[in-house]
Amino acid sequence: MSVILETQSLRREFGALVAVDDVSVKIEEGSLHSIIGPNGAGKTTFFNLVSGTLKPTAGRVFYKGEDITDLPVHRTIHEGIGRSFQITNIFPNLTVFENIRLASQALGSDSYRLFRSHLKFTEHLERTNEVLEEVGLTSRAPTLARTLPHGDQRKLELGMILAPDPDVLMLDEPTAGMAAEQVPELMALVQSIQEAGNKTVVLVEHNMNVVMSVSDRITVMHQGALLAEGTPAEISADETVQTAYLGALYNEEPGRDGGKT
Amino acid sequence: MTAPTMTDRTGLTGWLQRRRGVLITAALLVAFPFIISIVVDGQGLAAVWSNEQGNARFLQGLAIEVFILALYALSYDLILGVTGLLSFGHAMFFAVGAYVVLIAALLQAFLFAIVLPRVKGITFALVTLGFASVFWIVIQSSDLQEWAGAEIGLQGVEAPVWFLDTTNHRFAFYLVSLAILLGVFVLYQRIIDAPAGKVFASIRENEDRSLMLGYNTFWFKLMVLVVASITAALAGAMHTMHQPIVTPNVASLAFTVTALLIILIGGVGTLTGALVGAAVYRLLQFYLDRWYGAASELLIGLAYVLLVLYLPYGIVGTWRARSLRIKEGRDRLLQMVTGASKETSSPEE
Repeated sequence: MSVILETQSLRREFGALVAVDDVSVKIEEGSLHSIIGPNGAGKTTFFNLVSGTLKPTAGRVFYKGEDITDLPVHRTIHEGIGRSFQITNIFPNLTVFENIRLASQALGSDSYRLFRSHLKFTEHLERTNEVLEEVGLTSRAPTLARTLPHGDQRKLELGMILAPDPDVLMLDEPTAGMAAEQVPELMALVQSIQEAGNKTVVLVEHNMNVVMSVSDRITVMHQGALLAEGTPAEISADETVQTAYLGALYNEEPGRDGGKT
Repeated sequence: MTAPTMTDRTGLTGWLQRRRGVLITAALLVAFPFIISIVVDGQGLAAVWSNEQGNARFLQGLAIEVFILALYALSYDLILGVTGLLSFGHAMFFAVGAYVVLIAALLQAFLFAIVLPRVKGITFALVTLGFASVFWIVIQSSDLQEWAGAEIGLQGVEAPVWFLDTTNHRFAFYLVSLAILLGVFVLYQRIIDAPAGKVFASIRENEDRSLMLGYNTFWFKLMVLVVASITAALAGAMHTMHQPIVTPNVASLAFTVTALLIILIGGVGTLTGALVGAAVYRLLQFYLDRWYGAASELLIGLAYVLLVLYLPYGIVGTWRARSLRIKEGRDRLLQMVTGASKETSSPEE
């Protein structure tokens, strides 16, 4: 398999704090690659650097062999990288349908049309219905996004990055704040999307059971730096990871996946 | 309700059906001077066209003021209500139209468009305020007295063509301004229904997300500002034709607040609200002043407080919310009556 996304010595400083410290990661095409690490390990900053929301202090990002480090944030999706957020980030006062339709309309030049009804651009309507079906929100299409329950908002967010059919999906804690019984459903959805479309998924996730069961490869970050990388079996056997991270996490936050809804 | 699909109402009948609100309003307003002429003045139909004195002529003048204000407020609603950009400099756009008419207005639209889409939120508000304040000071300066008339403003501007001559061809001017207003209104409705208009709404809702979806929001904000400033300048130019004197007040912050007030009364982001709001604002202002004189400002203030208290989303906004709730209630009732036997059917239909 070939490498689709690669970072070379990616570094980001906020004043004296080094949030991401020379991180070099290779993500293989078609894999589900998880990035784990305790709070403050720099996972979300790493995501922001790759998706263009933040510019790195040093280092480069390559996508399909091309340097995308200096691409403005609105171009990333045009290249084929879709990104979701840890905190739900949707258009609250628009309908579920419109949220996804906007995502599907974003590619191409239709968006600049000023005088023709959006309902005449049927390909976007069809695509929206497809995506709604895929994430299971068809029956909620006419409701306002802000009135959806939290779990459905997470699905909506997934639908919004799915709509333009990207090659790489970067999911920042897609199950954050979800009730424990909803987590397997969403992860099954993510897996089916990945397998059906042969997509690459980069996942930040706190729930260890989830990470260990779905990932092809795992990268562990700790205090901004790369700690370890390998298959789930290798990671769970890795002693550095166990002492520095896994042990600490399990001791500090018992029942994280069950206690927090 | 189902997901939106394409309507099958196409062709001329479809268009007539979709635009029936605008068409009925247009018909009523065209008939309005004739009705006043006959019923109130006791004159014939011809009196309207031959520009005779009386209530019909006077009320046309007042209506033209409402149309101009509505056009101006409409353009502000596109910026604030639809796209969510709080501008404190909108009066400047109107004033540029009022003072130097359209060509300069086009120029200004592009000039400010270079800067304005780059700033967001409160910075945007302050930058627009800054521009407008400078402009306000400039047009009042004695150095420009020859062109802008300093504090007094412009007097006795001549109409370039007969149908823009409000003194001698009032009814023609009335029709022209009505046509411009309704034309722009229909155009704006098309804009907010078009793909670009949908992006404007996404900028209002969550600009960062809009960027992440792949929209270069700079160009969309630029489009909004250019369209709205040209509209406001058009309103300003009509104002100059209609009023015997253009004072620097049309460039003041207070006049931007007038636009804000009008769309708050009518309903922010509804477009229709700008038209309704302009009528309520101007008529309230005019008649309260006529009946109560100096006390009218207090009464107007009171009226606004009541409006905000009881119609928090403006007249049109609150009306839409209410009718939606009434519809939902009726659907529920119908379901209770008829649907008792069909309990399996989805409640969302």
